[in-house]
Amino acid sequence: MKTKKYNVIDQETGRLDPTIYCDPDIYKEEMEKVFGRAWLLIGHDSLIPKPGDFFHTYMGEQPVILSRDKTGQVNAMLNICRHRGARVVRTDDGNCKSFVCPYHAWTYGLDGKLEWVPGEEELYDGTIDRAQLGLKRARVATYAGLIFATWDQQAPSLEEYLGDARWYLDLEFNRSAQGTKAFGPHKWVIPINWKTAVDNCSDWYHVPYSHASAANALTRIMGAPRMTSDVLWKKKGRAAFVNGHQVAFFRLPEDSFDGNPYGVDSTAENHREAIERLGELRGDGLMLGTHSLFPNTVLGFRIVIPRGPNETEFWHFSMTNAADTPDKQRAVALEHAAQNGAGGHFESDDIDNWSQVSSSGKYAGAREIGQYVNMGIGNTHTDDVFPGQISDRFVTEQNHRFFYNRWEEFMNADSWDDIPLDPMKATFEGTASMDG
Amino acid sequence: MTVTTKSALSGLFDETLWSTINSFYIAEAWLLDDRKLREWLDLFTEEMVYYMPRRRNVNRKELDREIPARGTDLPYFEDSRKLMEVRIQRLESGTAWAEEPPSRTRHLVGNLLIESVEDDGTVRAKTAFICHRSHGETATALYSGYRQDVLHPVDGSWKISDRTVVLDANVILDKNLAIFF
Repeated sequence: MKTKKYNVIDQETGRLDPTIYCDPDIYKEEMEKVFGRAWLLIGHDSLIPKPGDFFHTYMGEQPVILSRDKTGQVNAMLNICRHRGARVVRTDDGNCKSFVCPYHAWTYGLDGKLEWVPGEEELYDGTIDRAQLGLKRARVATYAGLIFATWDQQAPSLEEYLGDARWYLDLEFNRSAQGTKAFGPHKWVIPINWKTAVDNCSDWYHVPYSHASAANALTRIMGAPRMTSDVLWKKKGRAAFVNGHQVAFFRLPEDSFDGNPYGVDSTAENHREAIERLGELRGDGLMLGTHSLFPNTVLGFRIVIPRGPNETEFWHFSMTNAADTPDKQRAVALEHAAQNGAGGHFESDDIDNWSQVSSSGKYAGAREIGQYVNMGIGNTHTDDVFPGQISDRFVTEQNHRFFYNRWEEFMNADSWDDIPLDPMKATFEGTASMDG
Repeated sequence: MTVTTKSALSGLFDETLWSTINSFYIAEAWLLDDRKLREWLDLFTEEMVYYMPRRRNVNRKELDREIPARGTDLPYFEDSRKLMEVRIQRLESGTAWAEEPPSRTRHLVGNLLIESVEDDGTVRAKTAFICHRSHGETATALYSGYRQDVLHPVDGSWKISDRTVVLDANVILDKNLAIFF
């Protein structure tokens, strides 16, 4: 058996090697083995609704143009001109007929095909093979309006990649034929390793203390339910783990936080449709909680863009129901901005913790003692009703161990042939499909 | 509005008004930098809105899209008095870790332009600012931008009913927006 190059998480003890957060060589390898292979969330249908619309995004560190061409097809192309490597698009978004490189005016279609080169006959003597010189394209697939892309032609389909996690994601993203609408994003650069932001999204252990100030002020002033450790740790919410993805979920009404505690209820108005699309159990009985998709998607949706071992650009969008009135969408978006995002009551308090967790791997002493994500070891099982590996504890570090195990699987693999996928077992009753 | 030296000197340039509002802004900046956030919040009306939009990179011909219109987008802040109260109570708690220990900030507010004066004394004013933030051991951030305020004369001073803070940055190069402008 091949020796594992990386063995950073001990599944028996939960010991985690913090070197993974700050070693520049590991980071460089991650850009190839994780971000070069995985399906990455890069945008949303509502950001490019019309032909000619484009949105500038990133796959790992690499700049990417997400466009909708004249046929309505969605394309993802590396924003690097094939001639000298200048960026073809310099704006955040827009609408155009073609992409013209500002350096020498090489011109590409909305699908990345090279359409025109100045002086093709006069200067290049007709030697340019335009068919070979389009923008580098990524594979693109969508799920319920969420747009994903991968550089790896060998990667499994998005459907297989999401696997049974989709059964849970449908609870939020596939409730309605009209789908969802994205607002934003906030963009800000934080001094952390990208992995810290992803693992924290499913860490409810920190919430009663890290976010006490926000939770208490919201309780006092806005009448939000209390989010104390006593309340949180007794919650019966569960989490499911599939292919390194994590989804927390609740059975209503007994497991919930009294409905949707810190949010405008975003599910009530499409309740009946959700039951028709997803079936009684999912449409009526379940609510999605925090969720993360390997490697760098923290859904609501948010994208964690690596910028270096200890630097990350965080993109925070607000997701609303497209079927809702503009007033309600706005209320939901503003609430999301006030709680998370760059100026969020909750999120602001996270960053120094994340930064210190990430940078601890710089110190010999910290590497020697390691970190411990050992809460709830052994407490997962399979279930007849709920697909994936299930944790019956809501506050748990199962999520961290699954995430870092998945990271190891990517980092130790030579290709997708060596990366396992959990078998798909879920029954997708109703009409909701991959395309929403 | 179009700013010309002539109109600035004649129409709207009431030296007394300009001085009193400029003094108000200087005092306001000291309240922020001296961390007297309660007194700072008292400078706003009960119906206040504290608003900070995103800023987009767009082509010159589309500059009307650079700052998304209020109500159409995901701003960094669009806070009512109640939400501002949440923010300040949070900071006062001693466990608002983003500001614990608190940042050292330095707000330099200038280039005061009085954009309009209404019959009831309501003033629309625009100011530019530079704000340096120093937090913890080595974290620093530099913000620049402008503010547009709606001010009302109240008891010999001014109250702000509406503040728009527009940062010059597209991507914010700071770990969080846990300070005020």
